[in-house]
Amino acid sequence: MIEVINPGRWTTIQDRGRPGRERFGIPPGGAADWFAAAVANRLAGNHPDAALLECTAAGPSLRFDSDGVVAVTGALAAGTETWLPRLVTRGSTFAIGAVGPGLRSYAAVRGGIDVPVVLGSRSFCQRGTFGGGFGRPLAEGDRLTVGDFVNGDPPQAAWPAGHRLSMLGPWEVRVIAGPHTDAFDRFALKRLTDIACRATPALDRMGMRLQTLGLHLRADEILTTPVTAGAVQVTPSGEMIVLLADHPTTGGYPVIATVVTADLPLLAQVRPGDTIRFREVDLAEADRARRRLDGWLEPET
Amino acid sequence: MWHVARAGDRALLVTLGKAIDPALLAQVLAFDQALQERRPEGLLDAIPAYASVLCRYDPAITTAERLEKGIRQLEGRLRSSPSFGPIVEIPTTYDGPDLGDVAAKTDLSTTAVIELHSGREYLVYCVGFAPGFTYCGALDDQLVVPRRASPRARVAAGSVGIAGSQTGIYAVESPGGWNLIGRTDLRLFDPAADPPARFQPGDRLRFVPVR
Repeated sequence: MIEVINPGRWTTIQDRGRPGRERFGIPPGGAADWFAAAVANRLAGNHPDAALLECTAAGPSLRFDSDGVVAVTGALAAGTETWLPRLVTRGSTFAIGAVGPGLRSYAAVRGGIDVPVVLGSRSFCQRGTFGGGFGRPLAEGDRLTVGDFVNGDPPQAAWPAGHRLSMLGPWEVRVIAGPHTDAFDRFALKRLTDIACRATPALDRMGMRLQTLGLHLRADEILTTPVTAGAVQVTPSGEMIVLLADHPTTGGYPVIATVVTADLPLLAQVRPGDTIRFREVDLAEADRARRRLDGWLEPET
Repeated sequence: MWHVARAGDRALLVTLGKAIDPALLAQVLAFDQALQERRPEGLLDAIPAYASVLCRYDPAITTAERLEKGIRQLEGRLRSSPSFGPIVEIPTTYDGPDLGDVAAKTDLSTTAVIELHSGREYLVYCVGFAPGFTYCGALDDQLVVPRRASPRARVAAGSVGIAGSQTGIYAVESPGGWNLIGRTDLRLFDPAADPPARFQPGDRLRFVPVR
């Protein structure tokens, strides 16, 4: 059992999400930085589907009533070393502290956090206020049960420094054009990739609003379509919204470009005020980038 | 001709048309049905809405080109007319905070607004945006009003709203810009139910005034 002494700013239970239910309006969800979350589970010796803690801006303090192993990855945490498994002893308190550079740290406890599966996942869904054990972020006094979703022993060494992603802007984020390319003029994406965007404080697990000074893209109206994480939407007033893991399942704003899977982890680490530059790539480069991260996660044989 | 576009590196957006139209929705549903029955290799999920279907795929199993080829093979070979669902009644209390405003903007009495809104059956075109949110059409032309100038930060679950030519039901509490004219106690989203949403595209419903 783990007792939450201090919940941190916005700490939620996440796993790999609940794909396949978007036709009911349910976002796919899951860890915003899918790569850091996968590494945390690897370092804790967990099954890839084990649930862990997504700690935003400031992490929790947790008291353990038995010995355990915790691995923290993603954004740096003031209270602990990251990217390696750490032993915690019975009765001790493990504090993650302030988070940054980067916005989200992932804390995997060996065995995973055991909360009920709701609609195929243990992830907290913000819009539906269900899942994640409590249907809300963690609160002081919550008690978390440790599961037995283990997969081998935790590794002895830290995660290789060369197999981590940057946690510090300015961010270069790769995109594939479309899907609503026809709603824009042919130079629109070029104009977008030529400028630096700035992340605003309007930022959560659903998406983030970007400031694009000096750029006002005009688009034709579109009929609402389903959308994906990474979609860069352009509103009628010319504002940009980039969708993240808990995104609305459909959208009526045209999507000029879509962030590639391999760079969704970067988006998850963007803090308000950070600079983002988009770079257009083709599908082959997006596939190579995704396979590179998948390769880092393959078990050593 | 269907338009197939990349939606990132793991999905294709297939657009069948550009209108809110029963015939187009029927094609979308027939396409969705065909994908369920003869799932192209590597297809993970299909999400229908209005006149398009998002096809998520596993890039370790298939490629965008191969999936598009599989999708194109269905074009023109769909069953022409899938039947829409039976009519479900939505008991509705017409006391929404925007009812008077809608009446003023449409130059109708509130009674006339209620009669026009409850006086026809609607087709569900999309369940999306938020869990269970049900988008229906089409409204009587006299009821067409734009969204509110500034959206509400919180709209309660069960709220019945109108915007443009559509009417919709909020299934969970969320922000929203629709003009709220009523509410229903019917639960439209339940994470413990299977399926979790009360409606899906192609269903039909009718609002029934209750006191």
